[in-house]
Amino acid sequence: MSSNRLVWTRTSIWLGFLALLALGLGLLPAYGFSLAFWFYLLLWITLASGLNIMAGFTGYLPFGYVAFYGIGAYAAAVTVKMHGLPIWAGFIAAALAGVVLSLLFARTMVLRGIYFSIVSLALAVICRLLIAAMPEDVAGGSYGIALGFSNPDGAYYAMLALMLATLLTVTWLAQSRLGMALRAIRDDPDTAETVGINIGRVRLKAWVLSAVIASMTGAIEAWYTSIVDTETAFNLLVSTKAVIFAVAGGLGTVIGPVVGTVVMLIVDDLIWQHFPVLNVFLLGLVIVLLMMFLPSGIVGSLIRAKPFLRRILF
Amino acid sequence: MMTTLLIQALVSGLILGALYGLIGCSLTIIYGTMRIVNFSHGEFVVAGCFAVLMFFSATGLHPLLSIPLVFVAFFLVGMCLYYLFVPRLNRGDDPEVASFLTFYGVSLMAGAILLFFFQADTRSLNYVFTPSVFKIGHVFIPTAHIAALATGIAIIAALTWFLYKTIYGKALRAAIMNRDAIQIVGVNINTLSALAFGLAIAIAASTGVLLALVFPAFGPFSGMDYTLIGFVVIVLGGLGHPIGAIIGGIVFGIAEQVAIVFLPQSLSQAVGFVILIAAITLRPSGLFGKVALR
Amino acid sequence: MLEVNALRKVFGGLVAVDTISFTVPENSILGLIGVNGSGKTTIMNCINGIYDATEGAINFRGTNLVGKKPYEIARLGIGRTFQVPRLFRRLTLTENLMVPVLEDSRSNAELTEKANALLAEVDLYRIRDNHAEELSGGQQKLVELLRVMMLNPDLILLDEPFAGVHPNLCKVFLDQILKLKDAGKSFILVSHDLTSVYSLSEHLLVLNQGKKIAEGNAADIQHNPDVIEAFLGR
Repeated sequence: MSSNRLVWTRTSIWLGFLALLALGLGLLPAYGFSLAFWFYLLLWITLASGLNIMAGFTGYLPFGYVAFYGIGAYAAAVTVKMHGLPIWAGFIAAALAGVVLSLLFARTMVLRGIYFSIVSLALAVICRLLIAAMPEDVAGGSYGIALGFSNPDGAYYAMLALMLATLLTVTWLAQSRLGMALRAIRDDPDTAETVGINIGRVRLKAWVLSAVIASMTGAIEAWYTSIVDTETAFNLLVSTKAVIFAVAGGLGTVIGPVVGTVVMLIVDDLIWQHFPVLNVFLLGLVIVLLMMFLPSGIVGSLIRAKPFLRRILF
Repeated sequence: MMTTLLIQALVSGLILGALYGLIGCSLTIIYGTMRIVNFSHGEFVVAGCFAVLMFFSATGLHPLLSIPLVFVAFFLVGMCLYYLFVPRLNRGDDPEVASFLTFYGVSLMAGAILLFFFQADTRSLNYVFTPSVFKIGHVFIPTAHIAALATGIAIIAALTWFLYKTIYGKALRAAIMNRDAIQIVGVNINTLSALAFGLAIAIAASTGVLLALVFPAFGPFSGMDYTLIGFVVIVLGGLGHPIGAIIGGIVFGIAEQVAIVFLPQSLSQAVGFVILIAAITLRPSGLFGKVALR
Repeated sequence: MLEVNALRKVFGGLVAVDTISFTVPENSILGLIGVNGSGKTTIMNCINGIYDATEGAINFRGTNLVGKKPYEIARLGIGRTFQVPRLFRRLTLTENLMVPVLEDSRSNAELTEKANALLAEVDLYRIRDNHAEELSGGQQKLVELLRVMMLNPDLILLDEPFAGVHPNLCKVFLDQILKLKDAGKSFILVSHDLTSVYSLSEHLLVLNQGKKIAEGNAADIQHNPDVIEAFLGR
């Protein structure tokens, strides 16, 4: 029974914290804060957590995660700009695009480890090139699409809502049976299958979920900046950053990607302010040091070093 | 006219492909022996381009003469990198992901250093071969390309000889197949891996020297592209198969160059990746791979 | 309950299992013995769907298993353990036992209770929240057997259950096997160690280089000249 109470306690603390966070972040626009930093903080927390579902819980690291983000941005922009529909229709289109694309790519999950990662990367490159090659009246061609209107406050709230939804999903996943099946697959897919798990179906659920989170994020970012183009929507750096933030905090933990994103964004900001010339070099150095000394991430290493912290961190 | 273009494309595809193959081959030596994903590999290719530039502007000697120098220098760099990072990474939980990120960090640092010393503008190697072009039938081939291909083939031959005929090479291939077995046999896996890392970085940089001859211009930002090509090529050829990677590289290079003839510029870049997806679907372990998966 | 008919498995040019037939009656223990590389584990892998048989049929209570996926076979009621135990290393012991029954309709509380009861039986209850990777090899094998028991299969394939297990744990292991046998389960026991198999199995099958070289009870086998040569010769 003790382990049940433990789960209950830390989940309550975490949910309470999330509620306070939501309240605080929800009030920011009303007090006239500049939203740029906060919007992207929410965006990266969402992407890192969405990626964590695949990379941390299921053991598949998609380098090409940006494909879903980009397709979501484009689906929303095309729906709104080319077909004159309202933005919420764009979000639905983005979610659908995420589902369809992830189903199309589902077969790649027969590949393992670095194989899977590289093929996923290749697919992201293909998506970018295909969209850039489409006629301008379909997807804007290589110049991209300007939405023609923007609503930063609206996008900010949408991002906040998506982040909360993502974090709640991951929190649920951490203690659900689905989550346990995913972690079994992460540890050893063959054995998971021999003991009776339909690994194809289980990991597909994680894959689609992870994809939809990214495609919705892409759509909201398109709304925020009111412009999409292939170079930024499919920029591989989106994948890499999401991976680094998630790993910095701790793959496979619920809180890790949140902590990792906050810490790395602050570090990034400090480096930019104080060492503008050396910024890329120092960012690289920070990543190297992190992997050398905290390979399981900040939260992961804390839990390892001090198991009693499992009471509040997970 | 079309056939001439096609032959031209096949020839340049073969030349580029051999070089891509060398990048992939060296990358797979690292991944195969130690399960380390060297995401900074492309930066060392680019560093090779700049090294030959410096060599040429400093000495005025033939650019190809820089290869032994570049090889030795980067061999040492590779050894240092190994002892700095790899033993520690191997002790971790998941060396694959950890090494990918570590070397992504290294790639950022290496890119920044290149940028600091050579600025953002593209450079080119102003060496002119005489005669500058060979004409075979209707096909023109720049002498620089032929020189690059010949040197590339020489490196491949030397590498094949090393891997299949020398004791260190055999041990290296054995280590790729089974790390544990090699420890039983009594080879010091640490020394062997360090040598492998040095060798791989040296090959990457030497390939950079050849690429500087083939491509008219290069800049400090193309490292990531080469890393990507390297990975695509080794997945094509089958992970952990050095010679497979070379074939994968040639397939990729030819596909890319032929596609440029027939397809619009933006789509032609996708062809290599489409081939990768097709190959993976038809033969999931790559053209020569035996990696188990399901 | 299980009928294996002219099973053949070829890897490339290598014949790993060469036309082997046998049956496992209800509530029995079949011993599968042979030196390393004689095809024992390959037969197991064919039965539980890790490999597809090249030729031949495997019938389990009237269902043909060839072409079925491992998880389908597990759900039909065939469980197995591995020569080198394969637990989910970063899952707790309780979680490890829960994995086979995740799609079960029973409640979490019910399943946790069952898992913990099994762990208590082998004296592992107090470390139920430890990660599996923290266990000794023998303990891991034991937990693997408990994991099989969660699915409550009727046929259990045990791959080298006693190899590398501490003698004290062997006793616990043996007790569990006999208890399951009394409860009506059947086993296929793979081993290269003859003594443990002799004492448990009513019926034995001896393999050499993928072929069946002898079959019968322990007394027959012990005096069979082909068997003696395969094990002691060369």
